Amino acid sequence: MHEFSIACEIFDQVMNTATAHGATEVKHVTLQVGRLAHTNPEQLEFCFKVISEGSIAEDADFVIEMVPPSLECECGYRGDVNESQIRESGELKSELLAYVAAMECPICRKPAHLEGGRELIIKNIEIETKDEDLTADR
Amino acid sequence: MLMHVIHMEHDVFKANDKIAEKNKKKLDKHQVFSVNVMGAIGSGKTTLIEEAIKQLKEKYKIAVIAGDVIAEMDASRFRKLGVPTIPANTGKECHLDAKLVEKALNEIDLENTDLLMIENVGNLICPVDFKLGEHLRVVIVSVTEGDDIILKHPMIFKTSELAIINKVDIAHAVDVNAEKMREDILSLNPDVPVILTSKHDWESLETWISFIELGLKKAQKK
Repeated sequence: MHEFSIACEIFDQVMNTATAHGATEVKHVTLQVGRLAHTNPEQLEFCFKVISEGSIAEDADFVIEMVPPSLECECGYRGDVNESQIRESGELKSELLAYVAAMECPICRKPAHLEGGRELIIKNIEIETKDEDLTADR
Repeated sequence: MLMHVIHMEHDVFKANDKIAEKNKKKLDKHQVFSVNVMGAIGSGKTTLIEEAIKQLKEKYKIAVIAGDVIAEMDASRFRKLGVPTIPANTGKECHLDAKLVEKALNEIDLENTDLLMIENVGNLICPVDFKLGEHLRVVIVSVTEGDDIILKHPMIFKTSELAIINKVDIAHAVDVNAEKMREDILSLNPDVPVILTSKHDWESLETWISFIELGLKKAQKK
């Protein structure tokens, strides 16, 4: 379980950005989480709640956008993992394994390189400020 | 009261990757070949590193970063072999990250090092997403973890450059087929070299050690 240290990193980044923009409260934190990243969004949110207690981010809601894995192949193919192919190979045990096993190029059938799906990105935060033009919103 | 949406686009893992790149550059500058040894708890990571040190320490200058929740125990085993060892305590953390390695590198005399062995925390999940700046990623499992251990942890085998199945001499006793484990690894990562090892089979250890030496020679040619 390493969600706690990741939540600490998210908290630091969020607070830096929020205070730099004169926030009085952080309302939402939007995260993009790769489906193949070894990070559990629910645990992440729980850890964030614990860390942010007493701060302007303590009531922030998490918005999680899951990012599907995408492939890149020597043959030039770039695209998402073929979901129908995953369903066909029915007996696979976990969703994660299903993705990994399905990582061959749908065009040339060679093993393809995993390009996306392992990221953890703080996409944006929604904040409240006191006055209209305390800090420029960029 | 005004609401604003502030775009951040901050990738937490990429932030780690950047520090890892810095570590790698530093190691390259001093022509140090580094190995990130990942693997399950009790799979024999420390023992296999010890065996490699015993055979290589006359020819090469070796240093070790021993990562663990309490790193001192393994670190003292490496020190007994006469190699400089930095314990990297992760505290409650289940993996080493690039920052911890960056800190440890400051305590190593890189000018007088050819080979850096980094023992990661015993875990098949958490170390996967954290690059350290290594030149070779190794994953070690042993037959005692059961022969379904590989398909349960696909990403670590998918992202490693060398896979070792250890303790194969007791496979029969624990009712495990080591060949099935090898096939499982290759089904996930068809190009990865797989070595079956046992502490009591010298030839198998030699394969592991020669793999490290191959990387060492390549690093020194640069």
